[in-house]
Amino acid sequence: MEGLYDYIKQFAVLDRQEFDLLAQMLEVKRFDKKAVVTQSGEIENYLYFVSSGLVRKYFVYGKKEIITQLACEQDLVSSSVSFLSRKPSSYILETLEPSLLLGLSFDNMEKIYQMGPRMNRLGRLIIIDWLVQKEAWEHERIKQNPRERFVNFIRQNSELVQRVPQKHLASYLNMKPETFSRYKHLLSK
Amino acid sequence: MTGLVKTYFNHLHQYFLQFVPLSKEAFEKLVPYFVIRELDKKTIIVHPGEVDDYFNIIAKGLVRKYMVVNKKEITIQLATEGHMIHSEISFNTRVPSDCFIETIEPSVLISMSYENLQKVYATFPEFEKLGRLVITDMFIRKDIRDMTQLKNSTRERFVTYMKKHPDMLQRVPQKYLASYLNIKPETFSRLKHLLRSK
Repeated sequence: MEGLYDYIKQFAVLDRQEFDLLAQMLEVKRFDKKAVVTQSGEIENYLYFVSSGLVRKYFVYGKKEIITQLACEQDLVSSSVSFLSRKPSSYILETLEPSLLLGLSFDNMEKIYQMGPRMNRLGRLIIIDWLVQKEAWEHERIKQNPRERFVNFIRQNSELVQRVPQKHLASYLNMKPETFSRYKHLLSK
Repeated sequence: MTGLVKTYFNHLHQYFLQFVPLSKEAFEKLVPYFVIRELDKKTIIVHPGEVDDYFNIIAKGLVRKYMVVNKKEITIQLATEGHMIHSEISFNTRVPSDCFIETIEPSVLISMSYENLQKVYATFPEFEKLGRLVITDMFIRKDIRDMTQLKNSTRERFVTYMKKHPDMLQRVPQKYLASYLNIKPETFSRLKHLLRSK
């Protein structure tokens, strides 16, 4: 729970007591490696905090899987639009490592919001954070060429590079696995 | 307040009512924090490198958000009456924008500065819920648009958009529409026959 406390603390909204109220609402969920956490077509019922492990979020386009998020410790992951809109998920969430997730159900989230403005503030700030990340992900795809995307990503995520299979990293960076392999020489410099 | 400005604020009140019950008295508390901005067509309101200081709801007109990459303009958003537009990353995280925001038509924007928005939340915490629901709505809409863009064929993107926004073909230069839908201008022209045959 301390990991989650650190995550929540960055938004500077809740005191420890309020955090404890929120923490009581969470369900601990354990998943094996390669377990499907959320299936497409289902309504996402949880917002997860990754306590340990690694989860990928992707959708299927034709025969291709397109990864939009790789979530590890201290990240939130969810088929967020399905979770918020109560519509079937377009995304699949799947673990890449055995994972321990803390899940907040939609019903519990609604209960938390009824506790007052500060909880709503926290919710607002988290969704703004998602919106900004989504926008940044899109802008990077428009602005950067594959080589720049590769170099920037590897610089900022050296740990993920060790943990995530290359084909998934390539999908996340919107490049062919061959291209990804070819760029690896850029790292030895 | 002139009659026209009153009408604009009435629309804003209606917009908020989709999200929460909001009495006239409660809504009136917000009004002083907004400014009305009347702009000519082709006015750039945000340049790359500037921190975007306003979020805007369009009372009248048409506004475009775009990026310039390798001298090419890429249209990211086209917003009309009743919709919101701002440089999300810049406004929310206070970093320089990487986009332009520019009016296409003479436009009237109902705008709130970042500073005033923080004041509203600090003074009236009861608006936190409205803020959360407005931002949630934006987030959902953005995802739906992203998915449509990624999953639909060129033809499907064209037809879906034109059916949903039949007035845009008249209001927006074709090159912007084509860029927004990620369709080559030549292809866009060719697809127009699909609109007539029905």
